Amino acid sequence: MDRSRRANKAKKNPLAKPFPSFSVSTLEDRMSSMDEDKKLVERTIKGEKEAFELIIRKYQQPLFNSIGRMVGERELALEFTQEVFLKTYSSLHTYQPQYKFSTWLFKIASNYVIDFWRKKKIDTLSLDERQGSNGHNCALAVAADEKSIVRKFEISQLRTKIEDVLKEIPAPLREVFIWRHISELSYEEIAEIKGLPVGTVKTRVFQAKELIRKLLEEKK
Amino acid sequence: MKCLGIEQIYLYIEKELSPARNREIKEHLAICQKCTNAFEERKLLVKAAKSLPLWETPPEFTRQVMARIGPVKTLPSAWIKAAAAALASISVTLLVIFLATGQNLSTLVLGLNHSLWNYVRNFLPVLLKLFKLASLIFGVIQQFTGYLLKAFSWLKALTSLQIQLTISIIAVISIAILIYGIKRIIFIGEKT
Repeated sequence: MDRSRRANKAKKNPLAKPFPSFSVSTLEDRMSSMDEDKKLVERTIKGEKEAFELIIRKYQQPLFNSIGRMVGERELALEFTQEVFLKTYSSLHTYQPQYKFSTWLFKIASNYVIDFWRKKKIDTLSLDERQGSNGHNCALAVAADEKSIVRKFEISQLRTKIEDVLKEIPAPLREVFIWRHISELSYEEIAEIKGLPVGTVKTRVFQAKELIRKLLEEKK
Repeated sequence: MKCLGIEQIYLYIEKELSPARNREIKEHLAICQKCTNAFEERKLLVKAAKSLPLWETPPEFTRQVMARIGPVKTLPSAWIKAAAAALASISVTLLVIFLATGQNLSTLVLGLNHSLWNYVRNFLPVLLKLFKLASLIFGVIQQFTGYLLKAFSWLKALTSLQIQLTISIIAVISIAILIYGIKRIIFIGEKT
């Protein structure tokens, strides 16, 4: 199901399938969504559990979609998404309203997933951290004899292949790729979640995409 | 313009570049087949990634999370914090005095209580008198301001702006002379 179809479905019945708030296009919509989040947080802190239920309904889908792709297992992702909401609920009193609520929530999710990777001894170092300041092994310029890899697949086939190779790329690259292209966050938001400079985030997302392309070639 | 870097191609696809740089790249793509191929390749990759199927949560997800949550933690209010800090400070002070002097703790508490009562007994009448004086001054000022405002409103309603200004200046000068005169009388009184 593509995004426009999902958006139409959400418009018909917004409560049944809330569409990710951060994918709304206009600045006005974003601001009103931010204000709405802050009000819901305030109400929850005052003891209104129903307000937190609305937060869950709003963010469960985008959060599960991102965490699911990061850990690659449905049951585990469901458990993690629940834990992230519980952690968020118990830390609501530390939330500072000058920051965007969704960014704060995704930061909690990111830390949770990283802890899981560390416990599982999955390498959480990015390519540049592992290989030095400019250690990406991706080509920076277009090669004269560059082959067509992606265009050899049908779009539906390409989606399936991307899902497969996503599990094989290093965890830190996978994470930023998911935040950027699946959750559709801005580079600035990802930089805030990861506590990294925007330029570093851009480079990591670029490395992730080129690595996916390279792996697609191997899987052809 | 030389051929494009791959990262630039991605940023161009994602509309992350300045309008000027976008224009340059667009112009370059119109004349360079190699970069156009690379651009089409990456554009399709991004398009496919953005349209991956959604992982949907089960319908009972919200209910399951809500069943696991307890009452939300709230920060203690400023008054509670201040009271706790005061209590802790008094306790620490008492403990230090107790350790330094070796006096009985109950004697110390009784002594502190006695001193506190003395302070209250001495300062309370003064405090009450000050409060009475302040309320009197406040009443006088309030009444005076009321008359002043009423006078201004009459003045405004009755005469033109020039006459208003003249009357206001005369009133200010009269008040200044009055204050000066009172001051002189007081000084003369002091000299005699």
